[in-house]
Amino acid sequence: MLCWARDQGSGSPLSAVANEALAYVDALHNLARHLTGNQADAEDLVQETYARALKAEHQFTPGTNLKAWLFRILRNTFLSLYRRRSHDPTVGGLDTVDAYSQGAIDEAWLRDDFELDRLRKVVAEEIEAALMTLSEEARTVILLDLEGLTEVQVSDVLGCPVGTVKSRLSRARAALRLKLRDYAR
Amino acid sequence: MNCDDVRMTLRDYQEGRLPTAAQGGVRAHLEACPDCAHVDAVEQELTSALEHRLPQYPASLALKRRIAAQWKVSTPKRSRWSWWRPSLIPVFACVALVLVGAPIFYYERAAFQDTNATSAMVGEAVNDHLRVLSSQRPLEIESGGLHQVKPWFEGRLDFAPIVSFEGDADFPLKGGAVGYFLDRKAAVLVYAHRLHPISLFVFRAGGLHWPAKDGSALTMEERGFNVIMWRQSSLGYALVSDVDRRELASLAAKLQSMP
Repeated sequence: MLCWARDQGSGSPLSAVANEALAYVDALHNLARHLTGNQADAEDLVQETYARALKAEHQFTPGTNLKAWLFRILRNTFLSLYRRRSHDPTVGGLDTVDAYSQGAIDEAWLRDDFELDRLRKVVAEEIEAALMTLSEEARTVILLDLEGLTEVQVSDVLGCPVGTVKSRLSRARAALRLKLRDYAR
Repeated sequence: MNCDDVRMTLRDYQEGRLPTAAQGGVRAHLEACPDCAHVDAVEQELTSALEHRLPQYPASLALKRRIAAQWKVSTPKRSRWSWWRPSLIPVFACVALVLVGAPIFYYERAAFQDTNATSAMVGEAVNDHLRVLSSQRPLEIESGGLHQVKPWFEGRLDFAPIVSFEGDADFPLKGGAVGYFLDRKAAVLVYAHRLHPISLFVFRAGGLHWPAKDGSALTMEERGFNVIMWRQSSLGYALVSDVDRRELASLAAKLQSMP
Protein backbone atom coordinates (compact mmCIF):
# COMPACT_ATOMS: atom_id res chain seq x y z
CA MET A 1 0.00 0.00 0.00
CA LEU A 2 1.20 3.46 -0.75
CA CYS A 3 2.77 5.32 2.15
CA TRP A 4 0.59 8.39 1.72
CA ALA A 5 -2.47 6.18 1.75
CA ARG A 6 -1.17 4.32 4.79
CA ASP A 7 -0.72 7.61 6.62
CA GLN A 8 -4.45 8.15 6.68
CA GLY A 9 -5.27 6.94 10.15
CA SER A 10 -9.03 7.07 10.12
CA GLY A 11 -11.73 5.52 8.00
CA SER A 12 -12.38 2.11 6.61
CA PRO A 13 -9.53 -0.03 5.34
CA LEU A 14 -9.08 0.24 1.61
CA SER A 15 -10.23 -2.52 -0.66
CA ALA A 16 -7.80 -4.24 -3.01
CA VAL A 17 -9.25 -2.27 -5.93
CA ALA A 18 -8.84 1.00 -4.05
CA ASN A 19 -5.27 0.17 -3.16
CA GLU A 20 -4.40 -0.53 -6.78
CA ALA A 21 -6.36 2.48 -8.01
CA LEU A 22 -4.42 4.82 -5.76
CA ALA A 23 -1.21 3.64 -7.41
CA TYR A 24 -2.33 5.32 -10.66
CA VAL A 25 -2.85 8.82 -9.27
CA ASP A 26 0.33 10.15 -10.86
CA ALA A 27 -0.49 8.77 -14.30
CA LEU A 28 -4.04 10.07 -14.13
CA HIS A 29 -2.91 13.47 -12.95
CA ASN A 30 -0.36 13.70 -15.74
CA LEU A 31 -3.04 13.06 -18.36
CA ALA A 32 -5.42 15.43 -16.58
CA ARG A 33 -2.78 18.14 -16.54
CA HIS A 34 -2.17 17.78 -20.27
CA LEU A 35 -5.90 17.76 -20.97
CA THR A 36 -6.87 20.74 -18.84
CA GLY A 37 -3.67 22.73 -19.19
CA ASN A 38 -3.57 23.89 -15.58
CA GLN A 39 -2.87 22.49 -12.16
CA ALA A 40 -6.12 23.41 -10.39
CA ASP A 41 -8.39 21.92 -13.05
CA ALA A 42 -6.19 18.83 -13.24
CA GLU A 43 -6.53 18.23 -9.49
CA ASP A 44 -10.28 18.75 -9.64
CA LEU A 45 -10.53 16.36 -12.56
CA VAL A 46 -8.51 13.64 -10.82
CA GLN A 47 -10.43 14.00 -7.59
CA GLU A 48 -13.72 13.82 -9.45
CA THR A 49 -12.43 10.79 -11.33
CA TYR A 50 -11.70 8.96 -8.10
CA ALA A 51 -15.03 9.97 -6.64
CA ARG A 52 -16.81 8.52 -9.66
CA ALA A 53 -14.61 5.42 -9.58
CA LEU A 54 -15.45 4.91 -5.93
CA LYS A 55 -19.17 5.05 -6.68
CA ALA A 56 -18.76 2.67 -9.60
CA GLU A 57 -16.28 0.33 -7.91
CA HIS A 58 -18.77 -2.54 -7.99
CA GLN A 59 -18.97 -2.15 -11.79
CA PHE A 60 -15.28 -2.85 -12.21
CA THR A 61 -14.65 -6.38 -13.43
CA PRO A 62 -11.77 -7.96 -11.52
CA GLY A 63 -9.10 -9.26 -13.84
CA THR A 64 -9.56 -6.45 -16.35
CA ASN A 65 -7.22 -3.49 -16.62
CA LEU A 66 -7.93 -1.12 -13.75
CA LYS A 67 -5.63 1.55 -15.13
CA ALA A 68 -7.54 1.66 -18.44
CA TRP A 69 -10.83 1.71 -16.52
CA LEU A 70 -9.69 4.74 -14.53
CA PHE A 71 -8.44 6.51 -17.65
CA ARG A 72 -11.83 6.00 -19.27
CA ILE A 73 -13.58 7.51 -16.26
CA LEU A 74 -11.15 10.42 -16.29
CA ARG A 75 -11.68 11.11 -19.98
CA ASN A 76 -15.45 10.83 -19.71
CA THR A 77 -15.37 13.14 -16.73
CA PHE A 78 -13.22 15.60 -18.63
CA LEU A 79 -15.52 15.51 -21.64
CA SER A 80 -18.62 16.08 -19.51
CA LEU A 81 -16.96 18.92 -17.62
CA TYR A 82 -15.65 20.39 -20.85
CA ARG A 83 -19.07 20.23 -22.48
CA ARG A 84 -20.54 21.98 -19.44
CA ARG A 85 -17.87 24.67 -19.53
CA SER A 86 -18.17 25.08 -23.28
CA HIS A 87 -21.70 26.32 -22.67
CA ASP A 88 -20.43 28.83 -20.12
CA PRO A 89 -19.50 32.02 -22.01
CA THR A 90 -17.19 33.15 -19.20
CA VAL A 91 -14.95 30.13 -19.48
CA GLY A 92 -12.83 29.34 -22.44
CA GLY A 93 -12.77 25.88 -23.97
CA LEU A 94 -10.15 23.51 -22.73
CA ASP A 95 -9.62 21.98 -26.09
CA THR A 96 -7.56 23.39 -28.86
CA VAL A 97 -7.48 23.38 -32.59
CA ASP A 98 -7.29 20.00 -34.24
CA ALA A 99 -3.94 20.38 -35.91
CA TYR A 100 -4.09 17.32 -38.04
CA SER A 101 -7.36 18.37 -39.58
CA GLN A 102 -5.78 21.48 -41.01
CA GLY A 103 -4.40 19.90 -44.09
CA ALA A 104 -2.03 17.30 -45.34
CA ILE A 105 1.24 16.83 -43.59
CA ASP A 106 4.16 18.11 -45.53
CA GLU A 107 5.75 14.85 -46.65
CA ALA A 108 8.85 16.66 -47.83
CA TRP A 109 9.45 18.04 -44.38
CA LEU A 110 8.94 14.67 -42.83
CA ARG A 111 11.47 13.15 -45.14
CA ASP A 112 14.00 15.85 -44.40
CA ASP A 113 16.82 14.96 -42.03
CA PHE A 114 16.37 18.42 -40.56
CA GLU A 115 13.33 17.14 -38.71
CA LEU A 116 15.35 14.43 -37.09
CA ASP A 117 17.95 16.93 -35.97
CA ARG A 118 15.29 19.29 -34.71
CA LEU A 119 13.58 16.57 -32.71
CA ARG A 120 16.85 15.76 -31.04
CA LYS A 121 17.17 19.37 -29.91
CA VAL A 122 13.59 20.20 -29.06
CA VAL A 123 13.15 21.31 -25.48
CA ALA A 124 10.48 20.38 -22.99
CA GLU A 125 8.49 23.60 -23.30
CA GLU A 126 8.33 23.26 -27.08
CA ILE A 127 7.11 19.68 -26.96
CA GLU A 128 4.50 20.56 -24.39
CA ALA A 129 3.39 23.65 -26.32
CA ALA A 130 3.09 21.62 -29.53
CA LEU A 131 1.18 18.89 -27.75
CA MET A 132 -1.25 21.38 -26.24
CA THR A 133 -2.19 22.68 -29.66
CA LEU A 134 -3.53 19.26 -30.62
CA SER A 135 -7.11 18.25 -30.06
CA GLU A 136 -8.10 16.52 -26.83
CA GLU A 137 -8.51 13.31 -28.76
CA ALA A 138 -5.02 13.53 -30.27
CA ARG A 139 -3.41 14.40 -26.93
CA THR A 140 -5.24 11.58 -25.21
CA VAL A 141 -4.24 8.91 -27.69
CA ILE A 142 -0.59 10.03 -27.68
CA LEU A 143 -0.40 10.16 -23.89
CA LEU A 144 -2.19 6.86 -23.37
CA ASP A 145 0.24 5.27 -25.81
CA LEU A 146 3.12 6.76 -23.84
CA GLU A 147 1.60 5.34 -20.64
CA GLY A 148 2.10 1.89 -22.13
CA LEU A 149 -1.54 1.03 -22.74
CA THR A 150 -2.06 -1.39 -25.58
CA GLU A 151 -4.23 -0.42 -28.53
CA VAL A 152 -6.96 -2.65 -27.17
CA GLN A 153 -6.86 -0.84 -23.84
CA VAL A 154 -6.77 2.56 -25.54
CA SER A 155 -9.77 1.54 -27.62
CA ASP A 156 -11.55 0.70 -24.38
CA VAL A 157 -10.72 4.13 -22.96
CA LEU A 158 -11.78 6.00 -26.06
CA GLY A 159 -14.72 3.77 -26.83
CA CYS A 160 -13.74 3.07 -30.44
CA PRO A 161 -12.44 0.10 -32.45
CA VAL A 162 -8.78 -0.88 -32.32
CA GLY A 163 -8.34 0.02 -35.98
CA THR A 164 -9.55 3.53 -35.25
CA VAL A 165 -7.06 3.81 -32.40
CA LYS A 166 -4.28 2.77 -34.74
CA SER A 167 -5.15 5.40 -37.33
CA ARG A 168 -5.81 8.11 -34.74
CA LEU A 169 -2.46 7.50 -33.10
CA SER A 170 -0.67 7.60 -36.41
CA ARG A 171 -2.36 10.85 -37.41
CA ALA A 172 -1.90 12.42 -33.97
CA ARG A 173 1.82 11.77 -33.95
CA ALA A 174 2.12 13.08 -37.49
CA ALA A 175 0.28 16.23 -36.43
CA LEU A 176 2.61 16.63 -33.49
CA ARG A 177 5.61 16.36 -35.71
CA LEU A 178 4.07 18.97 -37.97
CA LYS A 179 3.58 21.30 -35.02
CA LEU A 180 7.14 20.79 -33.92
CA ARG A 181 8.20 21.92 -37.35
CA ASP A 182 6.68 25.31 -36.58
CA TYR A 183 8.85 25.61 -33.50
CA ALA A 184 11.88 24.80 -35.55
CA ARG A 185 11.38 27.69 -37.91
CA MET B 1 3.40 -5.06 -47.09
CA ASN B 2 3.37 -1.55 -48.57
CA CYS B 3 4.53 1.74 -47.08
CA ASP B 4 1.09 2.70 -45.73
CA ASP B 5 0.76 -0.61 -43.93
CA VAL B 6 4.24 -0.27 -42.46
CA ARG B 7 3.76 3.29 -41.25
CA MET B 8 0.43 2.40 -39.68
CA THR B 9 2.11 -0.29 -37.65
CA LEU B 10 5.37 1.47 -36.84
CA ARG B 11 4.47 2.10 -33.20
CA ASP B 12 3.57 -1.55 -32.71
CA TYR B 13 6.79 -2.53 -34.44
CA GLN B 14 8.86 -0.22 -32.25
CA GLU B 15 7.17 -1.51 -29.10
CA GLY B 16 7.52 -5.13 -30.22
CA ARG B 17 3.76 -5.67 -30.10
CA LEU B 18 3.47 -7.30 -33.55
CA PRO B 19 3.38 -11.05 -34.11
CA THR B 20 6.76 -12.49 -35.01
CA ALA B 21 5.96 -12.81 -38.71
CA ALA B 22 4.62 -9.25 -38.99
CA GLN B 23 7.57 -7.94 -37.01
CA GLY B 24 9.89 -9.60 -39.52
CA GLY B 25 7.88 -8.22 -42.44
CA VAL B 26 8.14 -4.64 -41.19
CA ARG B 27 11.86 -5.06 -40.52
CA ALA B 28 12.40 -6.34 -44.04
CA HIS B 29 10.42 -3.44 -45.50
CA LEU B 30 12.37 -0.85 -43.49
CA GLU B 31 15.66 -2.32 -44.73
CA ALA B 32 14.47 -2.01 -48.32
CA CYS B 33 12.59 1.36 -48.11
CA PRO B 34 14.63 4.48 -47.23
CA ASP B 35 11.54 6.66 -46.84
CA CYS B 36 9.94 4.33 -44.33
CA ALA B 37 13.27 3.85 -42.56
CA HIS B 38 13.50 7.63 -42.21
CA VAL B 39 9.97 7.82 -40.83
CA ASP B 40 10.86 5.03 -38.44
CA ALA B 41 13.89 6.97 -37.22
CA VAL B 42 11.84 10.16 -36.79
CA GLU B 43 9.10 8.28 -34.96
CA GLN B 44 11.66 6.78 -32.62
CA GLU B 45 13.11 10.22 -32.00
CA LEU B 46 9.62 11.63 -31.36
CA THR B 47 8.93 8.86 -28.88
CA SER B 48 12.23 9.53 -27.17
CA ALA B 49 11.47 13.26 -26.99
CA LEU B 50 8.03 12.58 -25.53
CA GLU B 51 9.30 10.03 -23.05
CA HIS B 52 12.29 12.01 -21.84
CA ARG B 53 11.47 15.66 -22.37
CA LEU B 54 7.72 16.10 -22.19
CA PRO B 55 7.09 17.56 -18.73
CA GLN B 56 5.51 15.08 -16.37
CA TYR B 57 3.00 16.21 -13.77
CA PRO B 58 2.74 13.79 -10.90
CA ALA B 59 -0.05 14.42 -8.43
CA SER B 60 0.81 16.53 -5.45
CA LEU B 61 1.07 14.86 -2.07
CA ALA B 62 -1.90 16.91 -0.90
CA LEU B 63 -4.06 15.56 -3.72
CA LYS B 64 -2.96 12.01 -3.02
CA ARG B 65 -3.82 12.36 0.65
CA ARG B 66 -7.19 13.91 -0.18
CA ILE B 67 -8.05 11.02 -2.47
CA ALA B 68 -6.84 8.40 -0.03
CA ALA B 69 -8.85 10.01 2.76
CA GLN B 70 -11.89 10.24 0.49
CA TRP B 71 -11.69 6.54 -0.30
CA LYS B 72 -11.10 5.60 3.29
CA VAL B 73 -13.89 7.70 4.75
CA SER B 74 -16.36 6.68 2.11
CA THR B 75 -17.73 3.27 2.79
CA PRO B 76 -16.68 1.06 -0.07
CA LYS B 77 -19.39 -0.59 -2.09
CA ARG B 78 -20.05 -3.79 -0.26
CA SER B 79 -21.98 -6.84 -1.10
CA ARG B 80 -25.40 -7.42 0.38
CA TRP B 81 -23.82 -10.09 2.54
CA SER B 82 -21.22 -7.70 3.94
CA TRP B 83 -23.98 -5.19 4.75
CA TRP B 84 -25.83 -7.86 6.69
CA ARG B 85 -22.79 -9.36 8.27
CA PRO B 86 -22.34 -6.87 11.16
CA SER B 87 -26.00 -7.05 12.11
CA LEU B 88 -25.90 -10.83 12.02
CA ILE B 89 -23.03 -11.09 14.48
CA PRO B 90 -25.32 -10.88 17.56
CA VAL B 91 -27.65 -13.40 15.93
CA PHE B 92 -24.77 -15.76 15.27
CA ALA B 93 -23.58 -15.25 18.83
CA CYS B 94 -27.02 -16.13 20.16
CA VAL B 95 -27.28 -19.16 17.92
CA ALA B 96 -23.84 -20.31 19.01
CA LEU B 97 -24.78 -19.73 22.62
CA VAL B 98 -27.94 -21.77 22.20
CA LEU B 99 -26.13 -24.53 20.33
CA VAL B 100 -23.42 -24.75 22.95
CA GLY B 101 -25.52 -23.87 25.95
CA ALA B 102 -28.63 -25.91 25.24
CA PRO B 103 -26.97 -29.34 25.60
CA ILE B 104 -25.17 -28.18 28.72
CA PHE B 105 -28.35 -26.70 30.14
CA TYR B 106 -30.30 -29.82 29.22
CA TYR B 107 -27.65 -32.05 30.74
CA GLU B 108 -27.48 -29.96 33.91
CA ARG B 109 -31.25 -29.82 34.11
CA ALA B 110 -31.52 -33.53 33.53
CA ALA B 111 -28.83 -34.19 36.09
CA PHE B 112 -30.59 -31.88 38.53
CA GLN B 113 -33.89 -33.64 37.87
CA ASP B 114 -32.19 -37.01 38.29
CA THR B 115 -30.71 -35.93 41.60
CA ASN B 116 -34.03 -34.57 42.80
CA ALA B 117 -35.95 -37.64 41.64
CA THR B 118 -33.44 -39.98 43.24
CA SER B 119 -33.51 -38.06 46.51
CA ALA B 120 -37.29 -38.12 46.47
CA MET B 121 -37.42 -41.86 45.88
CA VAL B 122 -34.80 -42.63 48.50
CA GLY B 123 -36.56 -40.36 50.97
CA GLU B 124 -39.87 -42.05 50.19
CA ALA B 125 -38.30 -45.49 50.70
CA VAL B 126 -36.93 -44.52 54.12
CA ASN B 127 -40.26 -42.95 55.14
CA ASP B 128 -42.14 -46.05 54.04
CA HIS B 129 -39.70 -48.20 55.98
CA LEU B 130 -40.26 -46.05 59.07
CA ARG B 131 -44.02 -46.34 58.65
CA VAL B 132 -43.66 -50.10 58.57
CA LEU B 133 -41.56 -50.02 61.72
CA SER B 134 -43.89 -47.67 63.58
CA SER B 135 -47.06 -49.43 62.54
CA GLN B 136 -48.87 -51.35 65.21
CA ARG B 137 -49.44 -54.05 62.65
CA PRO B 138 -46.49 -53.86 60.38
CA LEU B 139 -47.23 -57.19 58.80
CA GLU B 140 -50.61 -58.02 57.47
CA ILE B 141 -49.52 -61.52 56.65
CA GLU B 142 -47.10 -63.35 58.86
CA SER B 143 -44.71 -65.39 56.89
CA GLY B 144 -45.18 -69.07 56.66
CA GLY B 145 -42.97 -68.97 53.61
CA LEU B 146 -42.94 -67.06 50.34
CA HIS B 147 -45.55 -69.35 48.88
CA GLN B 148 -47.88 -68.16 51.54
CA VAL B 149 -47.04 -64.47 51.33
CA LYS B 150 -47.11 -63.99 47.57
CA PRO B 151 -50.60 -65.36 47.04
CA TRP B 152 -51.79 -63.07 49.77
CA PHE B 153 -51.11 -60.05 47.54
CA GLU B 154 -53.50 -61.28 44.89
CA GLY B 155 -56.49 -58.98 44.72
CA ARG B 156 -54.73 -56.40 46.87
CA LEU B 157 -52.43 -55.04 44.25
CA ASP B 158 -52.84 -54.12 40.60
CA PHE B 159 -49.67 -56.01 39.73
CA ALA B 160 -48.00 -59.24 40.73
CA PRO B 161 -44.80 -58.64 42.69
CA ILE B 162 -41.96 -60.76 41.37
CA VAL B 163 -39.99 -61.95 44.35
CA SER B 164 -38.47 -65.38 44.38
CA PHE B 165 -36.13 -65.16 47.38
CA GLU B 166 -38.07 -66.84 50.19
CA GLY B 167 -35.54 -66.03 52.87
CA ASP B 168 -32.74 -67.96 54.44
CA ALA B 169 -30.98 -68.21 57.79
CA ASP B 170 -29.30 -64.85 57.36
CA PHE B 171 -32.31 -63.07 55.96
CA PRO B 172 -35.50 -64.77 57.08
CA LEU B 173 -38.76 -63.56 55.52
CA LYS B 174 -41.00 -62.24 58.26
CA GLY B 175 -44.13 -61.43 56.31
CA GLY B 176 -45.80 -58.95 54.01
CA ALA B 177 -48.16 -56.04 53.81
CA VAL B 178 -49.60 -53.60 51.31
CA GLY B 179 -48.22 -50.11 51.46
CA TYR B 180 -47.69 -47.11 49.23
CA PHE B 181 -44.63 -45.92 47.43
CA LEU B 182 -45.12 -42.35 46.34
CA ASP B 183 -48.40 -42.34 44.40
CA ARG B 184 -48.85 -46.06 43.93
CA LYS B 185 -49.50 -49.20 45.84
CA ALA B 186 -46.54 -51.32 46.81
CA ALA B 187 -45.96 -54.82 48.05
CA VAL B 188 -44.02 -54.64 51.29
CA LEU B 189 -41.98 -57.68 52.22
CA VAL B 190 -40.13 -57.67 55.49
CA TYR B 191 -36.96 -59.61 55.96
CA ALA B 192 -34.77 -59.63 59.01
CA HIS B 193 -31.10 -59.78 59.64
CA ARG B 194 -30.43 -60.66 63.22
CA LEU B 195 -32.60 -58.09 65.03
CA HIS B 196 -32.72 -55.61 62.17
CA PRO B 197 -35.86 -55.48 60.04
CA ILE B 198 -35.36 -55.00 56.33
CA SER B 199 -38.15 -53.67 54.15
CA LEU B 200 -38.46 -54.52 50.49
CA PHE B 201 -40.89 -52.40 48.52
CA VAL B 202 -42.01 -53.69 45.16
CA PHE B 203 -44.02 -51.30 42.98
CA ARG B 204 -44.76 -50.39 39.39
CA ALA B 205 -41.80 -48.53 38.00
CA GLY B 206 -43.67 -46.88 35.11
CA GLY B 207 -43.87 -43.11 35.24
CA LEU B 208 -41.07 -42.76 37.73
CA HIS B 209 -37.81 -40.99 36.83
CA TRP B 210 -35.61 -43.96 37.51
CA PRO B 211 -32.07 -42.93 38.31
CA ALA B 212 -30.31 -46.15 37.46
CA LYS B 213 -30.38 -48.25 34.33
CA ASP B 214 -32.56 -51.31 34.18
CA GLY B 215 -30.98 -54.08 36.24
CA SER B 216 -28.32 -51.97 37.90
CA ALA B 217 -28.67 -51.08 41.58
CA LEU B 218 -28.34 -47.67 43.19
CA THR B 219 -27.07 -47.60 46.76
CA MET B 220 -27.56 -44.54 48.92
CA GLU B 221 -27.63 -43.54 52.52
CA GLU B 222 -30.42 -41.48 54.05
CA ARG B 223 -30.82 -40.49 57.69
CA GLY B 224 -28.74 -43.48 58.86
CA PHE B 225 -30.56 -45.98 56.67
CA ASN B 226 -29.08 -47.69 53.69
CA VAL B 227 -31.21 -47.87 50.61
CA ILE B 228 -30.66 -50.05 47.56
CA MET B 229 -32.94 -49.52 44.59
CA TRP B 230 -33.14 -51.27 41.28
CA ARG B 231 -35.52 -51.87 38.46
CA GLN B 232 -36.40 -55.09 36.72
CA SER B 233 -38.74 -54.94 33.78
CA SER B 234 -41.76 -52.92 34.82
CA LEU B 235 -41.23 -53.26 38.54
CA GLY B 236 -39.17 -51.16 40.89
CA TYR B 237 -37.51 -52.44 44.05
CA ALA B 238 -36.40 -50.51 47.11
CA LEU B 239 -34.56 -52.30 49.91
CA VAL B 240 -34.24 -50.31 53.14
CA SER B 241 -32.64 -51.09 56.46
CA ASP B 242 -30.24 -49.89 59.05
CA VAL B 243 -28.06 -52.98 58.55
CA ASP B 244 -24.59 -52.64 57.19
CA ARG B 245 -24.43 -51.65 53.55
CA ARG B 246 -22.49 -54.76 52.53
CA GLU B 247 -24.95 -57.04 54.28
CA LEU B 248 -27.85 -55.24 52.69
CA ALA B 249 -26.12 -55.56 49.35
CA SER B 250 -25.80 -59.30 49.84
CA LEU B 251 -29.56 -59.53 50.33
CA ALA B 252 -30.12 -57.35 47.26
CA ALA B 253 -27.92 -59.69 45.28
CA LYS B 254 -29.96 -62.67 46.40
CA LEU B 255 -33.18 -60.93 45.47
CA GLN B 256 -31.84 -59.91 42.05
CA SER B 257 -30.26 -63.24 41.21
CA MET B 258 -33.21 -65.44 41.93
CA PRO B 259 -35.22 -66.36 38.81
